[in-house]
Amino acid sequence: MNKVIVCRCEGVYFDEIVNAINDGATSVQGIKRRCRVGMGYCQGRTCQPVIRDLLISMVGSNSIEQIQRTQSPIRPVLLRDL
Amino acid sequence: MKQKVIVIGGGIIGTSVAYYLSKKDVEVTLFEAKDIAAGTTSSCDRAIMLQSKKPGPTLELALQSAKMYTTLELELEADLEYQKGGGMILIENEHELNVMTEMVKQQNQAGLNVSIINGGHAREINPLLSKNIIASTWWSEDAEINPMSTAFAFVKAAQRRNAKIKLNDEVQALLIEKNRVVGIKANKENYYADNIVVCTGVWTKKVLETIEIDVPIIPRKGEILVTERLPRVLDCNILSGSYIAAKLQKGNDNPYGIGLAIGQTKSGSLLIGGSREFVGFDHSTNSKVIREIAKRAIQVFPFLKHVHLIRTFSGFRPFTPDNLPILSEVPEVAGLFIAAGHEGDGIALAPITGKLMAEMICEQKTDFEMKPFSIERFTKNNC
Repeated sequence: MNKVIVCRCEGVYFDEIVNAINDGATSVQGIKRRCRVGMGYCQGRTCQPVIRDLLISMVGSNSIEQIQRTQSPIRPVLLRDL
Repeated sequence: MKQKVIVIGGGIIGTSVAYYLSKKDVEVTLFEAKDIAAGTTSSCDRAIMLQSKKPGPTLELALQSAKMYTTLELELEADLEYQKGGGMILIENEHELNVMTEMVKQQNQAGLNVSIINGGHAREINPLLSKNIIASTWWSEDAEINPMSTAFAFVKAAQRRNAKIKLNDEVQALLIEKNRVVGIKANKENYYADNIVVCTGVWTKKVLETIEIDVPIIPRKGEILVTERLPRVLDCNILSGSYIAAKLQKGNDNPYGIGLAIGQTKSGSLLIGGSREFVGFDHSTNSKVIREIAKRAIQVFPFLKHVHLIRTFSGFRPFTPDNLPILSEVPEVAGLFIAAGHEGDGIALAPITGKLMAEMICEQKTDFEMKPFSIERFTKNNC
């Protein structure tokens, strides 16, 4: 289980996410800053729900922001097409 | 009993201050309202560029800081993605050439060995540069770093020296007794200390307002584009001449303060900035600004036409009216210190800021002339 890749774009393993939470991350953003999860080509569109579930199961559901901020563009776009 | 110090703020400045304090014989606790590197430190670029600094006190700080960065990975026992790949400021026309020639002259006098090279030489260093670049500055000592990794590494190193780190713990009040700060209140609990250092960047005004001290730091928004991962195309920092103009606030024909700044991260993404705007704490990115930055990036690197943009982000730089940070004791409140207001120089100046603040707090003196960074420069003008 530990060597399962959760974020394919950045090649982040399950245990790296667990380590980030153990290090004090209490938000999707916090995990992202510690191990680059969700920072790649798809911008966390695939892995974010998994990370959120893991976060809730490890630190509990509370008022702390658990959703990645939406950042434009919605999908990758060529710089010349902007 | 050991001296107790509380650091407020877990960005690159607060974590650096906490680390250098932890090297002294001091009990350090850092309070962070959210998480390490959750504000400006995770929404900026990665340059430790000296040739973009105005000769004067900032440049003197930056020179010492840059020297500290060369050994910081060893000292903190962490990979900070430090790379000394040099830096260039691109010159696209005769006017920019004149401006940059003058600036380089000043930098040479200040001890910076920057030179001006012709377009051909610039393309030897960066073969993908446009043929329209007529010249460029070049300095081999400009470097870069991952700001988030650096903040986390400062924290880990401070913890190894027994510093305590409190996350999701917002400071609600500063406790004052007889013109002296004695502690803070966080999470409905009081924590006592001999000294408090406020390292809260753009949020410093808010923190100090609670004790009626005015700090003239306001947020200046910068927007940055992130591309898909590319093979290694760039080893150095790239700025455009217009970046310098925007930084020094010259000319009104550039309302969004757009100036090009390009660097490549270790993962391969390009970070393409940026803009400088006073719009309060509005976090949104503006498609007009993003489009304009992209257009200028393509002008200097035509291959970027075929590269995908995957994300944009904005960050707030802590701006002060005279572009110098505040590294100072607060005269009205004994024991209270501020280290904030570095605007776009916070990454470059983080190590020296931490070192100087630790010296000020523990030994009441430093070898560096701190007067230009005193908060009194603002209060005195008001009299």
